[in-house]
Amino acid sequence: MERSQWAKVGGYRMRTDLAYDSEGHMWVERLGGGRVRVGLDPLGLEINGTLAQLAMIPVGTEVQRGEPLGSLEAEKFVGPLRAPLSGVVAATNDTVVENPGLVEQDPFGCWLVELEVLPGSVEDAELVEGPSVPGWFAEQVQEYRDKGVLAE
Amino acid sequence: MGRAVTVPEQLRVLELGTVSPLRSQTLWHAIAKEVSGGETPTLSFLRTDAGCVSIGYHRSLDEVDVGHCSRRGWPVYRRMVGGGPVFLDGAQLLFQISLPAKAVPASRGQALRSLLGPAVAAFRAAGVPARLDEEMEVVVADRKVCGYGAGQIDAAVVLVGNLIESFDHESATSVLEVPDPVSRSELLRLMRRYVGCPEDTSADARAFIGAAVDAFAGALGLRPRSGELSGAELDHMELLDRKFVDGGWLAGPDRPRSAGWKAKIRSGVWVLTGRSGGVRVRASVVGNRVERMDIEAPGDGEVRSAAAGVTGRTLAEARALLCECGAFGRAAAEAIGQAGVLVG
Repeated sequence: MERSQWAKVGGYRMRTDLAYDSEGHMWVERLGGGRVRVGLDPLGLEINGTLAQLAMIPVGTEVQRGEPLGSLEAEKFVGPLRAPLSGVVAATNDTVVENPGLVEQDPFGCWLVELEVLPGSVEDAELVEGPSVPGWFAEQVQEYRDKGVLAE
Repeated sequence: MGRAVTVPEQLRVLELGTVSPLRSQTLWHAIAKEVSGGETPTLSFLRTDAGCVSIGYHRSLDEVDVGHCSRRGWPVYRRMVGGGPVFLDGAQLLFQISLPAKAVPASRGQALRSLLGPAVAAFRAAGVPARLDEEMEVVVADRKVCGYGAGQIDAAVVLVGNLIESFDHESATSVLEVPDPVSRSELLRLMRRYVGCPEDTSADARAFIGAAVDAFAGALGLRPRSGELSGAELDHMELLDRKFVDGGWLAGPDRPRSAGWKAKIRSGVWVLTGRSGGVRVRASVVGNRVERMDIEAPGDGEVRSAAAGVTGRTLAEARALLCECGAFGRAAAEAIGQAGVLVG
């Protein structure tokens, strides 16, 4: 089994062996056979605030990239969890739905949804991955800091 | 050749009057949908002409005493924004600000502060000396005077809230599913203590509307103008009218069932109960610290007396203390944990 690769970027502990959706701040782990796991990255968590509720769409539902995979609630604010790839929901992590605080404790240890990526999907190209991950994430952190979204 | 004139962006203001309970919910959802599709940012005001219950998007319908609501003729609707189940009636002016998601800060906390700030200014103009406290509650002293919820509906963000002219604490408590009469009594006591304007404060709804228009327009850099609902909004509202009375929608997303029970009165103020190993615990939490705790543990005086010793402590501290009181104490700590209150 391959070991996870980590780096500290912009004050956040990041897995550098995963792919990332820059818009929704979701991480994507390829499981093989066209299946991926999806979770929230640390920046996505910080922007949303303390998670009070999570809900996922039912297993078997097909979603297109950018459509809601589910929803989260923090600070009485409900927002969508956007699919980073088009696919069919193969599994949901009911443990984190019952206890959203687990995601805050360990964002990379708590996946939210598994997707069977749709055949022929070309959206992979839009994910950030490989050597470009640390630089991209550092830029994102700086951009949010410049906007005053994150504390220095 | 004339100079190009830049028309400042506008804030559409809709005073929608008094509407049915159903429309008190579907109207602003329809507006948010259209703002998502490019309609002008909109500040709207309305009242319901009868009592009803609105439950937040993620919350379990089990939190509402649906049978009681039905007997009283109070319909229950699920909204698409956050927060818990709330009782609405004609003594509350409901307000909503809908704007493109890109117009609000990416941080949810900052977005809420930016939208609650103008609301607080409007409260003060209406004669309610409100402030936004560190727990993001709109308060006068320690009383919550505005319920609110927010959410992203497609590409729009909407914040909804209420100006409470007169709060019906009994009805607001009665719509909630509560496990026993003592807990209901405690809920009512804390609701009276911590929700609604102080008795010597009265809210002027007309002043609130005028001040809210100025405050939101100023904060958002928009020019206010009176407007009307568009045809598209009316069409969308009719679709939502059907959606909101659909049983599947009302049931909401699948939620895990909690073994315990809790009700939040305002931030940091809770009533909770739990049962484990033959022990039943009932607690009132104020300022995130135990104000009262009763433990029913047959034949175990030690754990019952320990309950008196947890007053003033956080729930985490109370659980740690109880765990030192033998099997019944550990069961009491487990019972508290079942309620799942997210405080220390």
